[in-house]
Amino acid sequence: MANYYDIDGILMEEEFVPVVFQKAINGVNIDESTEKGCVEQGSKTELPFWLAHELHMRQAVSISVPTCFNQKTRLEIQADAACVDLRSRCPYFYEFGCKLAPLCDKSIGLLLSYAFQIRYKEVLHKAHTTAFAAASKFLMLLTKEETYLYEAAQSSMLAFKKWRMGGPRLQRASILGRKRKPAE
Amino acid sequence: MAGQSDSTMSLFSSEEIEFMAEDEMTEIVPNLRMDSLNFICGDYGPFLPQLAAQVPLWLALALKKRGKCTIRLPPWMSVENLTRVLEAERDSHAFQPLPFHYVEISRLLFDHAREDIPDMYMVRSLIEDIRDVRFHKVETNLEKFTASTVTWKNMSAMEVNVIRAFAGRALQAFYKHDNEQQTPDTDRAMDKQPQIPTDRPKRNLKPR
Repeated sequence: MANYYDIDGILMEEEFVPVVFQKAINGVNIDESTEKGCVEQGSKTELPFWLAHELHMRQAVSISVPTCFNQKTRLEIQADAACVDLRSRCPYFYEFGCKLAPLCDKSIGLLLSYAFQIRYKEVLHKAHTTAFAAASKFLMLLTKEETYLYEAAQSSMLAFKKWRMGGPRLQRASILGRKRKPAE
Repeated sequence: MAGQSDSTMSLFSSEEIEFMAEDEMTEIVPNLRMDSLNFICGDYGPFLPQLAAQVPLWLALALKKRGKCTIRLPPWMSVENLTRVLEAERDSHAFQPLPFHYVEISRLLFDHAREDIPDMYMVRSLIEDIRDVRFHKVETNLEKFTASTVTWKNMSAMEVNVIRAFAGRALQAFYKHDNEQQTPDTDRAMDKQPQIPTDRPKRNLKPR
């Protein structure tokens, strides 16, 4: 995640978080319908994480817990983490949670590692046993990170099976296959 | 070498593992007379008919393809030994000691030196069974691991390679989540410091 150009890192920071403004801010509008050219203290809105984080560092806003980490999701994860549809809630559940945990709620860290431990086992089983067609429904529930894991396991297993089956050892250079055009 | 075939994932392909396995020593019985061969990796020979010699597997296979030798089955590939190993694998949780490249060596021998293996079908199915049992063991082990130390003895090259990408990613994630709990992100605390909010009184702008 340290890579500046990491596309997942960039997309992850686009996730919205609910914030409460701690200060009045001039010259910006969060709501088109208001007449005033400023944001009042105590007004609530949702901002993308990258903006909320910067404002939070300047103590202009306080960040509250977004819906994907609310009480309802927590209960669902405690009940059966493997079946929770995390993708529709937040495709970057883990990375987002890690960034968010120190800013608003430390207990998110625990939730993440608990959820990952349970879901990891599920991914492990499905990745090495299930055929691809049967797994597609299960794939819909996975976050980005889990999908990468799943694909890593599948592709190395496939490569091994292909090697074991054998097949043509020598690859034909693509140029050799071409037929010469009939001279007309 | 790693990542020659797949630059993004820094993995060995199965073919690369097979290539490495070909450096293992095997015993052959040549049927020709030949002076010793001098290679960068060492000198082999001289070869005399009916006198066993130790050569790397790739050389053994090259000679075999030309019909210049028979390959002696390595002792671990005997039916008795494999039966014993299979039983031990089924009984215990630990991996039994087998050559590091047993999957690749056995496959190469099955492909190229069929007629040198007595009870070829028996040996092949035993090795398939051993591999399946061991792979199932790998999976149950994977299920148990967390970010703490992982010690599995006697895993073979191919078994490691099949789970390399998956296990690497999973360990990284475990490590990240475990650390997240213990140290609440020190570098974030660092970049918070220099920005002391300046509480200047603000003029309210006139609404436009």
